[in-house]
Amino acid sequence: MFEMIKHRFRVMRAVAFVTYKEWSAYRTHSMVSIFVGPVYFLVQYYIWSAVYSGESYINGMSLSQMLSYFCATMLINYLTMDFADWNLQMLIRTGKFITFSLRPMNHMFYALSQKAGHRVLGLLFEFIPCFMIFFFIFHIDVLPANLLYAILSIAMAFMMNFFIHYSIGMVAFWMVQSSSIRNFFNLCEGIFSGSLIPLVFFPKSLQMASFFLPFQYTTFLPAMVYTGSYTLADITLPIPQVLLLQLIAVIIAGVVCRGLYAVSLKHFTGVGA
Amino acid sequence: MKRMYLIYKTCMKANIASAITYRVNFILNSFIMLIGNVLFPLVTVFIYNSNASFEGWTFQEALLIQSVFILSTACAGIFFNGIMWNTMSHVVEGTLEVVLIKPTSSLFLLLARSFEFESIGLLGGGVIMFVYALSGIEGVTFSSWLLFLLLFGAGLLVMFGVALIVAAISFKWVANSRLPEMFESIKSFGRYPGTIFPKAVVAVSSFLFPVSMIAYFPASTLIGRWEAYFFIAIIPCVLFAAFGIWLYTYMLRSYKSAGG
Repeated sequence: MFEMIKHRFRVMRAVAFVTYKEWSAYRTHSMVSIFVGPVYFLVQYYIWSAVYSGESYINGMSLSQMLSYFCATMLINYLTMDFADWNLQMLIRTGKFITFSLRPMNHMFYALSQKAGHRVLGLLFEFIPCFMIFFFIFHIDVLPANLLYAILSIAMAFMMNFFIHYSIGMVAFWMVQSSSIRNFFNLCEGIFSGSLIPLVFFPKSLQMASFFLPFQYTTFLPAMVYTGSYTLADITLPIPQVLLLQLIAVIIAGVVCRGLYAVSLKHFTGVGA
Repeated sequence: MKRMYLIYKTCMKANIASAITYRVNFILNSFIMLIGNVLFPLVTVFIYNSNASFEGWTFQEALLIQSVFILSTACAGIFFNGIMWNTMSHVVEGTLEVVLIKPTSSLFLLLARSFEFESIGLLGGGVIMFVYALSGIEGVTFSSWLLFLLLFGAGLLVMFGVALIVAAISFKWVANSRLPEMFESIKSFGRYPGTIFPKAVVAVSSFLFPVSMIAYFPASTLIGRWEAYFFIAIIPCVLFAAFGIWLYTYMLRSYKSAGG
């Protein structure tokens, strides 16, 4: 068992390193975030400063909490961002997926390892520079309330993002052109993840529904853990319980994803390599 | 002129035929674009539902600005935004010479090929939202409609300039698909009432990078809140588009073929 885990770790490290080297050639691609992130934040800053003029709290959040929340969501996104769905559908559509049948590792694990390497690049060229800009230039409190909890939550968000994107990518095993499904999913994710606006602004019924949807576990929940307090649908939970909730959601998503992968492989028809 | 019209018509037909080939995907994508419009002004909806507001702007006035932004984006998506992706793809694959050897203007041909029928869903969503927002605004006169159309056209020139500048940069900064994102982030200043921004930001977004013309100025004119400087800002919009055309033509010389 230990040997197997050690072997898997070595494989993951090797694939992640190669992916890191590969994407390092296009590091300016990641560095665009150093411009885009602060500009988007500036817009949010002015919007919310205008909205809060004359108000101390809106939906239980103060202006400084709101700004910290948006910084946290941006920073977390740099660490957890995923495009496994796009990659997978491209491999299936072009028939290149067939080459993975010959490899001594399954594609799901390979894609996860690739993501690890890619996000290390995100850490160096997106997260750290933007963190510095938010902290030193905008003077926003972007230090996590509890570093250990924040790391645990972000790691689970990383896995959750991968599982749900990979599951969406597997739609391509059934549909030749699956961009519409991916767009629909991205639309739902945009609304329900909390990256657009904190979920506490939603009607109560939608806030309740968010507990059962996978989206809040990728952005809203880790951002709230990062900032140190969690309230949704008038339910306030201590952070350890929030982490347990996230863990359950990640395990369910992982089991569903693995099950779908087993079923999907039976549907694959290679068209050359 | 007639020849150009025929070329454009052929390219339009080709794009529509291509959309029809994957019709389920096309219908779903158009529908999602339409629904996706809900996403865009959702922040405004939730802000006003929480008894907060953009000071001095009613909900429907704020929504009008955002619907005009969607209409501009949709028009740009249908008629010229595709030139960014087409140029990037040609540069990466080294296939632009296929366009360059054609006996017509390369810029015009790439523009014609950029016609994108899929943004029709976005246009539909924008029109629905525009009509809804307008239903809550009184005193819209014929002259304000004319002024609105004038400024809306100027806003399209800004979008056209942006598309060409991004496409032109891709000749040098090869394979950076995040280039449009940089300009999108600046454009987002044009989605909200200009009164929420400091004067320096308003000045930059009016005259240097006139993104206010995309939605804020035209919508304000329709509401009857226009200012004289809105019309002066038409000049930088024209200059912006002209600069885009010049830069694209100039950078075209930097193109290096991959051969084949």
